[in-house]
Amino acid sequence: MPVSAIADVTLAAGGWVITKDMSDDAADVQRVLAGDVDAYAALVDRYYDRCARFAVRMLGNRDDAEDALQATFLRAYRALDRYQERDRFSAWLYRILVNQCRSIAARRAHRERVFVREEALLLNAPDRSVGWSGEDEEFVQRVLSELDPLLREAFLLKYIEEMSYEEMSALTGVGVSALKMRVKRACDRLRERWERIKHD
Amino acid sequence: MIDSEQHTYIDMIAREARRPVATDRAARERIMTLVRSEPAPHRRSSVWAAIFQPRFSLSPAVSTLLAAGLVGIGVIAGAFAMNRDGHQVGQPRFAAAQRLPVSDTVVKFVFVAPQAEHVSLVGDFNGWDASKTPMVRSEHSGLWTVTLPLPEGRHLYAFVVDGNSWSADPNAPFAPDDGFGHANSVRIVNRGS
Repeated sequence: MPVSAIADVTLAAGGWVITKDMSDDAADVQRVLAGDVDAYAALVDRYYDRCARFAVRMLGNRDDAEDALQATFLRAYRALDRYQERDRFSAWLYRILVNQCRSIAARRAHRERVFVREEALLLNAPDRSVGWSGEDEEFVQRVLSELDPLLREAFLLKYIEEMSYEEMSALTGVGVSALKMRVKRACDRLRERWERIKHD
Repeated sequence: MIDSEQHTYIDMIAREARRPVATDRAARERIMTLVRSEPAPHRRSSVWAAIFQPRFSLSPAVSTLLAAGLVGIGVIAGAFAMNRDGHQVGQPRFAAAQRLPVSDTVVKFVFVAPQAEHVSLVGDFNGWDASKTPMVRSEHSGLWTVTLPLPEGRHLYAFVVDGNSWSADPNAPFAPDDGFGHANSVRIVNRGS
């Protein structure tokens, strides 16, 4: 697969992609485009868990995260003929995921207004935490949820996905300096939260 | 605050947040069910492949002349793409090629049916086929949901409960009767809505 030097520099860091996955991805994409739909299942399997982690941390609940993942993989499939091999599939997919998470987060407030009454009737509050592994994860999810979405997105990409600022910039379309500022502000907010907890 | 304090806290959050989340095998299968109901994508005509992977070879001199010619064509085309104020008309071609698909907007449909065994979304976007867009029941609730990308425009839809009961969306405007005795709902999709 021809991969340009620019693509290597821009997208190789962060531990997000390994070379074997790249060649596997390219082969699977070719198989899908040749008519083998089941080859797409291999791509879904390869990236679902990592995308799920980002979506859950970003959106704060599993239902919304699952919606984001479904929309991401469906949209990627629909656009697969527009995917260009000089991009890494993983970076291309992740860009779609970030956009889907942004869209769902932006629409969530409206949806909650519409359906809050029905949900209040049907859902038991304790059930919403089913599946979480423990108090630490709940706590971390809560403090992340308190961040402004753009700060949370930058923090997750930097500290959880361990991307470089250049990768983050390529993925989000936001400049490096603005991203650095967002990460710093996210850390500041988290520090303030930490200080409050210590004094409570 | 000292830096080490912040780093300790950030490290703690990052370490916890890096843990994998539990995922549902069935969710992947639902994705593949939706994928299989989609038209298969095909590799577009490989004009670029023909340019970048020619099946004939050129001498360096001919290649240089050809490259110079292409640059010249680009300059001329660029001149035509400027308006009288000297501003470029439209977007650069390569930027457009790399842009993500934005023609569709992701729409979430929600339907309350605590007693239902199975709920599907049908509409003009899936040929009113109850097998194409199954909805998923949220755990521990009677909420059925599905999310799918829809093109901009006006869409008619309804929910099919347990394969035979046709219901309009109580939270959306009703469409005029379809002539078959079914009540449909209307969803207007705008970009970014």
